[in-house]
Amino acid sequence: MLKTLIDAFALISTWEVIIAMFAASVYGLVIGSLPGLSATMATALLVPVTFYLSPIAAIATIVAASSMAIFSGDIPGALLRIPGTPASAAYADEAYAMTRKGQAELALGAGVWFSAVGGIAGVLSLMILAPPLAEVALSFSTFEYFWLALLGLMCATLVARSSPVKAIAGMFLGLLVSCIGIENPGGVPRFTFGITDLFGGIEPIPALVGVFAVAQVMRAMLTPEPPPLPRRKFGSIMAGQWKLTKKYHWQMTRGNIVGIIIGVLPGAGADMAAWVSYAMSKRFSKEPEKFGTGHVEGLVEAGASNNASIASGWVPSLLFGIPGDTIAAIAIGVLYMKGLNPGPTLFTEKASSMYAIYLMFIIANIMMIPLGIAMIRVAAYILLAPRSSIMPIIMLCCAVGSFAIGNNMFGVVTVAAFGVIGYVMEANGYPVAAMVLGIVMGTMVEQAFVTSLIKSDGSILPFFERPVAAILAAMAIGALLWPVMVWGWRKVKPVQAAAATSR
Amino acid sequence: MRLPDSVTGSFLVVLGAAAAYGGYILPPVPGQPVGPNVFPLVIGIGLALCGLAIVFGIGHSFEEEQELVPLEDGQVAAQQPQGKLYGLRALLPPALLLFYVAAADRLGFIITAAIMVYVTSTALGAKGKLALPLAALSPFAIHLIFGKLLRVPLPAGLLPTPW
Repeated sequence: MLKTLIDAFALISTWEVIIAMFAASVYGLVIGSLPGLSATMATALLVPVTFYLSPIAAIATIVAASSMAIFSGDIPGALLRIPGTPASAAYADEAYAMTRKGQAELALGAGVWFSAVGGIAGVLSLMILAPPLAEVALSFSTFEYFWLALLGLMCATLVARSSPVKAIAGMFLGLLVSCIGIENPGGVPRFTFGITDLFGGIEPIPALVGVFAVAQVMRAMLTPEPPPLPRRKFGSIMAGQWKLTKKYHWQMTRGNIVGIIIGVLPGAGADMAAWVSYAMSKRFSKEPEKFGTGHVEGLVEAGASNNASIASGWVPSLLFGIPGDTIAAIAIGVLYMKGLNPGPTLFTEKASSMYAIYLMFIIANIMMIPLGIAMIRVAAYILLAPRSSIMPIIMLCCAVGSFAIGNNMFGVVTVAAFGVIGYVMEANGYPVAAMVLGIVMGTMVEQAFVTSLIKSDGSILPFFERPVAAILAAMAIGALLWPVMVWGWRKVKPVQAAAATSR
Repeated sequence: MRLPDSVTGSFLVVLGAAAAYGGYILPPVPGQPVGPNVFPLVIGIGLALCGLAIVFGIGHSFEEEQELVPLEDGQVAAQQPQGKLYGLRALLPPALLLFYVAAADRLGFIITAAIMVYVTSTALGAKGKLALPLAALSPFAIHLIFGKLLRVPLPAGLLPTPW
């Protein structure tokens, strides 16, 4: 244990890792603070750069950039009422109301402080939850993996803030995309239409870059530019945060726990964590009437929640290769590329690498406090940059980055195609995250499904015979039926209400 | 690009049916009941069923209308220019990426990238004062990072870089 820890320290105390982490932090802070550029997009655009780094440095950049971007999305939320990332959308109104009351320092300080605390709570959950779960997972067969993957896919559709039918359709689309290529049980070219470039299948990373980055540039073409940030002088940012921590320690803890749980659930990420925690804070508050008028309580809870979900999203990713959120989906791609294939054995064979990941998360969250304060002070200058100077650079990064993945032009075509697909899906209420999950998990789902079918000789029964498989199956089927029950309940309730009034 | 649910749903039905058929006609693995054909078959059927449900409006009640942030007293709503061709502007980014694919090998990275930056920047409302220097400088900066530091083989084309 101690030796692994020392090994882990040795892994991360190289100049490459330190510089990569610092640069990625600054990058994450800047991208996160610019409205319209999300934390997922920041991570997706980082991937081509990670090819050329050592495995630990590559993961360091993702860890640092994603943690920082989730916090810095709060900055324009508080100052402009425009959330920098979707994860800050839940409480942008509240933070802006505080700014109008002259409490911008308190709102932003709470953002930094409780983000850092939440992030560290998330890492602790990763350190505590992952190793025992890995023990359990070692005895999993393909039946369990199949149900687990299905459960993950169903969770993603449950938490989508959209029609569950459309979410399931999005998931199927993603799975269909993953069918393309010759990497299937028979090794035959499937859905390649004779195009050689399609033989290798659709790489998840260009698809992600297209869906998250190109689609965003496309939307920017049709939406008006956000207003510039008014210049202002800030007082002390961290003043009063300790008092808040003591006053709202219960809200903070609850936010951390909710964030961790939502992070672990596949497909649900930081934005969902923030929405749920903000709503919960309002529901259980002693003074709910103050919400919406610039009250810091909801900020504390939601800020602690969204950063906690970032680290805990890595739990299912590292254990099963099932991404906890879209950022973790990208991280899985990088893990595979770097020879750290997700799976329970990762925790025994590559234990020092795992400890290095924990340490990097902790360091990133501690670094967030000074860097975040600096970012708040210079935000007014960064937000001065017009969209018309940032979006072109994003476009160039998309083109070059997707080319760099395989050094062929087909990657660029993929990015363009998925930009259009992502844009059309988003515009019509199909959640893009569900499709992304389908693309990332497709090969694994198919492998587990077909191997299980071959083992069971076409019979359905063995899918339910092992106890863990049966439990997972019940949960997956429950998740599938849940929207149907809610729908039925909604149909029944108005009838009852009508009957009650007519009496 | 907001299409009626009946259109997107029907598209999914057709796509799902095509996927199921495409999976069905795949050659099986000799001597084994399940092969590469099962998974697309299941997905295709599922997708087609979802498409049908969407056409009939099932699950529509779960959709939340997009929340519009009400404007503050000080802010004035930006005038949205409307026109038939306005919506097509969204297709500019993917079109530029395809342009990159077609032209980068012949023109070289620097020239192609400069054109992409200039067009995107102008389309987003930048004046020449901003767009021209941006188009002149940013390709070199990107080339320095990706081409020089990360050794991505970017095409040199007509205008090779000094490094």
